[in-house]
Amino acid sequence: MTTLRLDFNLNYKAFNFTINQTIDLTGITGVFGHSGSGKSTLLRAIAGLEKKLTGSIVLNDKALLNTSQKLYEKPEQRGISLVFQDSRLFPHLTVRDNLKYAAKRCINSKLNPTDILKLTELEHLADANVDELSSGQKQRVALARALLTEPKLLLLDEPLSALDQASKNKLLSLIVKIQQQLNLPILYVSHSLDELQQVCDNMLILSQGNVINYGNIHHTIHQLNFYSDHLPSEGLIHQQTSLSLPIASKDNGQGLMVLALAEQEIFLPSLPNQLFKNEQLRCFILASDISICLSEPQNSSIVNHLSGSISAIESRTVDANSNSVLVTVICSEQEFFVHISTFSQQKLALYINQPVHLQFKAGAVRTYLY
Amino acid sequence: MPSPDFLALVVTLKMATVTTVILLLIGTPLAWYLAKMTSRFKVIIEAIVALPLVLPPTVLGFYLLIAFSPQHLPGQIWQQVTGQQLAFSFSAIVIGSVLYSLPFVVQPLQKAFEQLGDSLLEAGAMLGAGPFDRFFTIVLPLTKASFITAASLGFAHTVGEFGVILMIGGNIPGETRVLSITLFDHVEAFDYAKAHILAISLLIGSMILLACVYLLNLPRNKTDKLS
Amino acid sequence: MQLSKLSSLIIFCSLLYMSASFASQNNNPLRIAVAANFTPVLKALLVEFHQKTNIETQIISGATGALFLQIKHGAPFDILISADSVRPKRLEQQGLIVNDSRKTYALGQLALFSMEHKTQLTDLEKPSKHFAIANPDIAPYGKAAKQTLQHLGLWHQYKKNLITGINVNQTFAQIRSRAVSSGIIANSQLVINKLAGVVIPTSYHQPIEQQLVIIKNQGNYDFAKQLSDYLLSPKVQQKIVNFGYANHELTESIAKPLTQQGISHAKP
Repeated sequence: MTTLRLDFNLNYKAFNFTINQTIDLTGITGVFGHSGSGKSTLLRAIAGLEKKLTGSIVLNDKALLNTSQKLYEKPEQRGISLVFQDSRLFPHLTVRDNLKYAAKRCINSKLNPTDILKLTELEHLADANVDELSSGQKQRVALARALLTEPKLLLLDEPLSALDQASKNKLLSLIVKIQQQLNLPILYVSHSLDELQQVCDNMLILSQGNVINYGNIHHTIHQLNFYSDHLPSEGLIHQQTSLSLPIASKDNGQGLMVLALAEQEIFLPSLPNQLFKNEQLRCFILASDISICLSEPQNSSIVNHLSGSISAIESRTVDANSNSVLVTVICSEQEFFVHISTFSQQKLALYINQPVHLQFKAGAVRTYLY
Repeated sequence: MPSPDFLALVVTLKMATVTTVILLLIGTPLAWYLAKMTSRFKVIIEAIVALPLVLPPTVLGFYLLIAFSPQHLPGQIWQQVTGQQLAFSFSAIVIGSVLYSLPFVVQPLQKAFEQLGDSLLEAGAMLGAGPFDRFFTIVLPLTKASFITAASLGFAHTVGEFGVILMIGGNIPGETRVLSITLFDHVEAFDYAKAHILAISLLIGSMILLACVYLLNLPRNKTDKLS
Repeated sequence: MQLSKLSSLIIFCSLLYMSASFASQNNNPLRIAVAANFTPVLKALLVEFHQKTNIETQIISGATGALFLQIKHGAPFDILISADSVRPKRLEQQGLIVNDSRKTYALGQLALFSMEHKTQLTDLEKPSKHFAIANPDIAPYGKAAKQTLQHLGLWHQYKKNLITGINVNQTFAQIRSRAVSSGIIANSQLVINKLAGVVIPTSYHQPIEQQLVIIKNQGNYDFAKQLSDYLLSPKVQQKIVNFGYANHELTESIAKPLTQQGISHAKP
């Protein structure tokens, strides 16, 4: 297992970044935060592109930085590659030559540009000038190029931010595919929780130069439901239930896919992609898309019905005049988060441990990846 | 025995070529340093580099003559190291030309390096390229046009140089007598026919050189506009 | 591709270097630093000198002031043929010349010249809008021109209309190109260029003594001395006069403090 020990601080005029955190780099680790939280700074520090920091960075017991011992590993010698938000392809080289640039400088290379062109579906663009590419294609080339350095750790800095939705989905699937095929630890920075929810195994949350949470992706997203009010969210955080569930049936014969939640079932519209039974599917349901019934709903067009019991009722903390509450309901040991008005809460006279039924439309179960 | 004008042409080309090579070797790191520098001293160094643009060449030549003469320290050091007198030697006019043409090489390069910025260099580092590797594989190909401009401006300016060389060179045939001085001598000696021929060939030669440079730069500028 | 360009550049450089160093391999020719206005005369005289002595020479032509400065700072010149006597005297004072080598080889002769019309001395009394002389503060011919105008009592009239060249060659070029209609220049310039002007009597100004000096420690003393002797020989002195310089003996007899007589001579 790859571990990354970070213990450093960095001072700019109005910005102070301090971190003391060990990260287990299994799969993809997300780094989430609003703009100015220090996400990119963190990646640049790990890559060696930020020069003015004090402290230490250790990757797999190898020190990359230790300012007290005057140790500074040069960026090109760290075995880390960074894919920038703005691709940064070399304009004087073709796509293939951009990839060769990386491959030539990689010692003991196992990958070759042709294979990577195939993996990233760029074969038809191999001889194109980089000026001719769309932003999505550019990012794929940038990703392919970074892979050819065969890094011990791949850093992605907002790789999707300049892309349209279709390109985003394509690149996200590619990132997951690459991570699985090459078994490459990835640190993925984004200000989009949706992106991170789809691909990350763990997540680090930054705010104003400090780590405020780190752990399993679903767990950290659920915790955001409670303290998101404290973060300058810029509308980035939607209270939600984040899930990874096995596929029980790809299509129930009526255009719906079925996910298994222990003995209960969750329905969502069938996805066009190749998926297998029992494969884990990432999805999320917004808290505002779920409603609570005291009795089991009958004769409803809404297909998803889950039974569970209330474990918490939380009024919104920041806004005292708020007229809504967040209700946590446990269904088959899975937490669900439901956003309802105080009016409904009072009408239904909700209380802790009360058995309730949740309902939500198939379309409310969202997934970006496929 | 070659004709004096031909000898002057050879000296001029030799001087301009050696000067241009030295200017590129010195000017590139200097321009790089200036482009990356953030300290307040940057403006001072920039001003010093630009000084030959304002200083009249004969004034610069006068002070260089004093510095290069065996009576003064720089000239003495040179004489001790090389065993030869610096003033009135080919080396002297090369050093004078390097100083005099420095801004013409440093300024376009500095501008090019500033425009290039750090982003592609960081990308290069992320692909495992060290500093020199990055310079030769990223900076050089992307600022090629500026290098050509800098080299040709340095070369052309050196060919056309008069005042500094007249002062520190001493107009010695085969050693420090260059075309511009020969031309001036012809005019002074009322040999207008020779002067005209030399002036016209100098003019045409420079025109061809500069036109070639702008032609070389043309296609790259086009792609620049596209991107 | 870059490599091949670089290597071809290096080859080009070294070829240039070789050719230039090959070309400059003369066996220490006599290096003559000469004031620009005497250069054409010297060139003509050197043809015979070379035939007689077989000495190889190199001419370094320039402004006397610049040549003086360069000699002061170690320029490898064997002999200085100056346009004045001030700089040779100063080199002598500074101990940079061979003892007793300072000799007057020619006396400057002024001439009034215009490209536009036939000139005569009386033209001086009607100052034109612009009038060209060499800078009286730095150029010997300019100084003499000023003395001439002072001698004729015309200096105040001319003072504001003067176009001054840095040396007499520039003044000559200004008049010849018709940029200035008339002015006072060196008579030798007219002779060399086969132009007509009016000779100004040498009695109107102090003599323009042009001197030569042999520079110390240059290793070509014998050749320099031979050239000096050659230039001062009566036959060559006559040739120099024929090139438009003033006559030695004649000047020495006339050269007296400026007299009132001169003015009456100029005024009809």
